Amino acid sequence: MLAYVIRRGLYGVVTILGVLGLLYVLFFLYADPLDMAQRAVGEKAPPEVLQQWIENHGYDRPAHVQLVDHYVRMLTFDFGRSDADDAPIARRLREGAIPSLSFTLPTFALGLPLAIGLSLFVAYFRETYIDRAGVVMAVLAMSVSVLLYIIGGQFLLGKLLHWFPISGFDASPDVILRFIALPVLIGVVGGVGSDVRFYRTVFVEETNRDYVRTARAKGCGDGRIMARHVLRNAMIPILTRVVVAIPFLFTGSLLVESFFGIPGLGAMTVEAIQGNDFSTLRVMVYIGALAFVGFQILTDISYTLVDPRVRLG
Amino acid sequence: MRARRWASVGLLLALVQCTNNPYPDADEGVRVRYQALPNVIKTLDPAVSYSALEHAITAQVYDTLFEYHYLKRPYELMPALAVEVPQPTSHPDGRVSYAFRLREGMIYQEDPAFTLGGEGRLTREIVAADIAFELMRIADPDVTSPVVTTFSKIEGFSEFSQELAARREDPEFAALRIDQQYAALGGVEGIRVLGPYDLEVVLREPYPQLLYWFAMPFTTPIPWEAVAYYDGEDGRDFFREHPVSTGPFYISTLEKQSRIVLSRNENWYGALYPEWRAPGTVYPSEGEPGDAERGWLDPEYVGRPLPFLDRIEFRIEKESIPLFNKFLQGYYDASGIILESFDKVVQEGALSPDMAARGMSLVKSVDPDVYYIGFNMNDPVVGTPAGDRGRKLRQAMSLAVDVDEFVRIFNNGRGVPSQSPVPPGIFGYDPDYRNPYRTPDLGRARALLSEAGYEGGIDPDTRAPLHLSFDVGDPSTRTRLRVQFFVDAWKQLGLDVEIAASNYNRFREKVREGAYQIFMWGWIADYPDPENFLFLLWGDMASAKNPGAPNTANFADPRFDALFLEMKDLPNGPRRRQLIRRMLEIVEHERPWIELTHRESYALYHEWIRNVKPAGISFPSGKYVDVDPELRSRRRREWNRPITWPAYVLGIAALALVIPGIVTFFRERQ
Repeated sequence: MLAYVIRRGLYGVVTILGVLGLLYVLFFLYADPLDMAQRAVGEKAPPEVLQQWIENHGYDRPAHVQLVDHYVRMLTFDFGRSDADDAPIARRLREGAIPSLSFTLPTFALGLPLAIGLSLFVAYFRETYIDRAGVVMAVLAMSVSVLLYIIGGQFLLGKLLHWFPISGFDASPDVILRFIALPVLIGVVGGVGSDVRFYRTVFVEETNRDYVRTARAKGCGDGRIMARHVLRNAMIPILTRVVVAIPFLFTGSLLVESFFGIPGLGAMTVEAIQGNDFSTLRVMVYIGALAFVGFQILTDISYTLVDPRVRLG
Repeated sequence: MRARRWASVGLLLALVQCTNNPYPDADEGVRVRYQALPNVIKTLDPAVSYSALEHAITAQVYDTLFEYHYLKRPYELMPALAVEVPQPTSHPDGRVSYAFRLREGMIYQEDPAFTLGGEGRLTREIVAADIAFELMRIADPDVTSPVVTTFSKIEGFSEFSQELAARREDPEFAALRIDQQYAALGGVEGIRVLGPYDLEVVLREPYPQLLYWFAMPFTTPIPWEAVAYYDGEDGRDFFREHPVSTGPFYISTLEKQSRIVLSRNENWYGALYPEWRAPGTVYPSEGEPGDAERGWLDPEYVGRPLPFLDRIEFRIEKESIPLFNKFLQGYYDASGIILESFDKVVQEGALSPDMAARGMSLVKSVDPDVYYIGFNMNDPVVGTPAGDRGRKLRQAMSLAVDVDEFVRIFNNGRGVPSQSPVPPGIFGYDPDYRNPYRTPDLGRARALLSEAGYEGGIDPDTRAPLHLSFDVGDPSTRTRLRVQFFVDAWKQLGLDVEIAASNYNRFREKVREGAYQIFMWGWIADYPDPENFLFLLWGDMASAKNPGAPNTANFADPRFDALFLEMKDLPNGPRRRQLIRRMLEIVEHERPWIELTHRESYALYHEWIRNVKPAGISFPSGKYVDVDPELRSRRRREWNRPITWPAYVLGIAALALVIPGIVTFFRERQ
């Protein structure tokens, strides 16, 4: 397994180096430093001030020097400062991680058991109207855009019914739940449709297997069969889906954060895109790539933990 | 065990508290104003910050030598930190100097930065050297202040800037503390600190508008200790996010991405010395006609010491729809009107009965700005090289554009059609002036086009409709539709105008290269003086000659330039008005611009917010505003009672759907 992990790790390193190269070409080789300066210092700034900004930020150096600097900085996790406001990017990451995690973690922690529970429920009642109604609702739920959930949720639950604040964020312990309740609800409802649809298929497939029939013949209860045998044997597809989703918990959600005014990493990415802040954007993409590659390897390792038949080599 | 689990679930639900109130309960009854910021601020460094968004904060925190009278229009300067507004002294060699005198005994907000000046020290007196220090910061190349060109009229300013950059090549010099670096160069020749409270600024040439810059946060006194201390090292903030206040409020919470809280500064000179009754520390007793009727001269407030609020809370609210909905729920005190709800809120130019019944008021104000279509005067077809032919073409195109219709279709009727570059509220604006080329007249336009040699819009060289290009820096459908309106207007003359839409970066590049014919742009006043608008057409400011300069039409007319040079140095008076009128006649005839609109802002205010008079320029207005927190709390409770029955209906419906199935399933299994 170690050899496999090392090999996957090396593939990962090559992938990351490629991503970094691509980032440089996309963000810095073709970007016009003068426009970046104009965005940062303002429309009315005279040319000499713009030139000074370009020099201060090192965009006047030859391309190969900037490329080496780009690789060194990223690989040593020296993220530097934002092009928009000169704030240290590492600090912004630290500040943004908590608001992002404050709603992505509860969404994940509530959404996953709910989706698995509902899937087991509809799979248990397979081929009854509960199953069919469950599938129809799941398909409906997954067909609706997240944006509609957000706007609809804000309108219905925030504006009409007055249950939650329409938007905003405050990390104070006495009010934080008010702010994350609606984003979490929307995150759970928005994600549960596709999850139920997927997990139900996996569970129904498992319930038709011989071991389930054998267990039932031996007098094992239905609840026990579903919870212990079916669920355990369906773990590999569940893990694949779950572990791949974990990196996105850290990078936040672009839409939810923007619409709810949550000052997390998703909102930071949107802001960087809008403000031509390529220094911040490259860090966000780099971290996303690192997490994705890392968690892919973890997914492979986790297979061996849930299914002893799986051998990595 | 089970009981404890249910108790914890119950506690969790209780914590969620079924309420849409985005503020802590402790805020009830507190005199706090809630304002939305549509974007995250970049910097609060007064030498750098140049956006209206940032000035909304810095203007409350950084007091300046002068400020504008809160109510009077046209805007009138009055002393703030300074004892009086000085008159210029002209020198025989053409130089001009201003002597500023500060009030004695004013101090900064308490801040640990002052320990750099002595152990245990938490504040100190505001002195003239602090203004000199801030002016030197503007000259400092590392600060990248966007207003460096304006202040380069000060004697020795540019030389200081260059010398500083050169000396910083030496690492030993660069390692010196910032104030020591400035002192090592001997400061700026034209900025003379004559005593603790006396400062003289010497200009190489007359520039009466300088005084307006001393009413903007750029020139606020800055203690060197703050800049040296807040360097971002060892967990300290950067200076750009840690203002040390001289104003009525200080920043008590700065969470740049979500909220900024300003609290009352007990060290403000208005609070320390109420007996001075300095102009900017008490509510004014006079304004412009109509102010009393609008409630801005309420006897309850006139003459009372400022500020009225304990706190101002700015919340970042990037999306306009949630912002407006929160305003309707009473969680913001004021709001603009979103396009989606305009017809519901405003009917026949007034507040709709629904909104009026909620006690709101609608305040309309014309902003000191101008939006226009410009011609590149260096272009061989539409510009000066085309001579009389080009002029007649521009005049004809100007006559074809119906701005009233444009404002009605695209701005819900908001906007004053502009007749000249000078907007209302600025000296030189004449409400009775009618530009003969700004009233739509297609017949006259066609005749002018024929005189220009483009009969029916046909270019005699190609025998096809004259092809022109309209450059736009925003490829969105919304902008394209707006520009299409003008293109369609010119099509009626037979002209074929193509929309060349590109992103803003590419558009700016085209402007830099001079590769454009027609464009659309706008200008917002820095200060309330006609010079700040008419310099947009001054030959020396042509962007082709002076990259980045604001005369993007590249208009250069010696007659206009001569009048401008005389006008810019004159005080407001009949002679200045006469010169402006003559300049506008030239612009009217030459048509480098087709003036479009001066923006008109519609703002909604709840009944509990008082004394908000709109200002189109940077202004320390927060200190004049008041709220009635009891009335606000009452209204919020009335408007936001949670409606819970749908939750029960939903739950019952879900159970009704599932239970029969489960029962049937098990019955069949048995």
